[in-house]
Amino acid sequence: MGEVELFEKVRPQLEGFCHELRELAKKKPDGGINKFKLQIINEKLDEANLLLTGKFKPFKDFGRFDQDSLPTNSDVVLILSQYLECLETWRSAHVIKVDYSWYWNTPGDLRITTGVPKRSHLDEEEEDGEGEDEGEEEG
Amino acid sequence: MTCQGVSNGVRRDRAIIFPVALVRPRLNDYHGLTFTQDQVDFAIPFVDEDIPFYVDPFLLWKSPSQQDNALHTAVVASFNNIGQLGVKGMEEDSIRTLIKLSECPEVGLGSARDKQGKRIGEKTAADIIELFRRIPEITSGGLGHIEEIQLLVDQISKDRVSDIVCSLIKSFLIDFTIDQCRRLGIPTALLELEVFDYQKQTFISERTTLPVNPKNQLPIVLVPKRWLRYVPWINYDDYFENAFATDQAKRERVEVLTFNRHNYGLIREYIRQKELLQADCVNDPLFKPIPVISAKRKFEEIKQLATGRGEGADRRYEELMCQLLASVFYPQLDFADMQSRTESNVLIRDLVFYNSRGMDFLREIFEKYGSYQLVFELKNVSTIEREHINQLNRYLSEELGRFGVLVTRRPLSRAMFQNTIGLWSGQRRCILALADDDIEFMVELFESRQRLPIEVVKKLYIEFTRACPS
Repeated sequence: MGEVELFEKVRPQLEGFCHELRELAKKKPDGGINKFKLQIINEKLDEANLLLTGKFKPFKDFGRFDQDSLPTNSDVVLILSQYLECLETWRSAHVIKVDYSWYWNTPGDLRITTGVPKRSHLDEEEEDGEGEDEGEEEG
Repeated sequence: MTCQGVSNGVRRDRAIIFPVALVRPRLNDYHGLTFTQDQVDFAIPFVDEDIPFYVDPFLLWKSPSQQDNALHTAVVASFNNIGQLGVKGMEEDSIRTLIKLSECPEVGLGSARDKQGKRIGEKTAADIIELFRRIPEITSGGLGHIEEIQLLVDQISKDRVSDIVCSLIKSFLIDFTIDQCRRLGIPTALLELEVFDYQKQTFISERTTLPVNPKNQLPIVLVPKRWLRYVPWINYDDYFENAFATDQAKRERVEVLTFNRHNYGLIREYIRQKELLQADCVNDPLFKPIPVISAKRKFEEIKQLATGRGEGADRRYEELMCQLLASVFYPQLDFADMQSRTESNVLIRDLVFYNSRGMDFLREIFEKYGSYQLVFELKNVSTIEREHINQLNRYLSEELGRFGVLVTRRPLSRAMFQNTIGLWSGQRRCILALADDDIEFMVELFESRQRLPIEVVKKLYIEFTRACPS
């Protein structure tokens, strides 16, 4: 699977998990998470870890949840929210602006549109407030 | 004693050298069989004492199982036949039969702490026969439920009723026992015992294979737990409170029984009412965890308790923690007992659980630390000191196992945690500490059912193991 495809699959899934667990954590921040949920969250983290290497890695010593350490709702929300931030950082580093639109920086002639990067980009001198005009990023 | 293999998911350990220090040992502990009470259909018998439950024949009567109904019919038919023979010139034989039926030691039910029950006397047996002579309805139609005799004859209570039923259907119970032993790998021995034969309506000697009590070598017969209650559905106290006229409430038991014999219609009506309410008659579980709301209340009370012994705080802590832990660990761990011991003039209370070895870390605790049972020492103190750890360490032994848990109010200090690591390094002892925060998390898991509360102990065990030097 290409990196863009992987990103476009993993990020919305992690956003969904984060949203659900954030709601749970509001009521029960110290509530336990069952093994099934942890297992599928770990699967998504494994996929995200394929993209988030080197300087994009969210945590030095964390790769996935250990079932036996009994992470709580708030623990998982904390980690997932950081992963989402790092995924956006990774995306921001892999997009380019052509004319007035943003595209994934992919080889060849293929142009895949994407949203305005939310992190500082290499071509900072080109920003000049153009970001507000752009469409919503694809989720 | 050695055992082999695994059958139906029940682990059996290879070599069993059985420790004598176990608290309330059960049959499966002796044979290294790791099933829990929840996993089997029968009440697991204790080796040294009876199970404080009784067979209620009403549960056979109302059961949706035709087999149970047929057994009830056989019980009632046999009992009535014995009574009828008694009034037709075979009184001596009938009395002897009733006396023999009144005790069924193989099933191990009742309140005897040493598994020694008592049979009824000749007078009581004769009083039972007399019912078939004096009460016209019983003379002509027999008893519909044998437990009615509790309301008509003195010296008959739930234990006698239970034993009489078990004696009358012992042949079925033997078949049930053989089947369960085959499924679970419980060792058996060939032996001979007396069994009431339904066809011949007398006792015969039968050779069969049954498990035996490892201490006294007596045969053990297993009883389906779906037939067990603390008190039979039809019982004297319930009859007295709900059916006997309230203006006669001050009568003594013997007077009431005499009245009943002369006014059998009242008994019949009481029985009829009990039959109408049969949907409410269910078996009592051998262990019933406290409800979640109760667990939360108990923990809230624990959190508010002061540390130390002032105003009975330590006793209250122990009572609450016993009820809480026994419930949250169920069914992964069966509760054995709460016991007290004195050390250096200090009264220490422990909770002891059977190590079911049903989870990976429990198996590891058994293999590495030899723990057939898990000791949780209760310590209502603000800080665990070295002496507290040493107290538990001294109690742990090769026989009991070298794993223990201190249940206390606050986590161990760094120094005390290092102390426990030192004990592992020097003596291969594993001592963990459960604090209020851990208990709170366990109660939360008990409520949410997202994970098992016992996994909190597993987490601590893993953290401890990782901290030990390799």
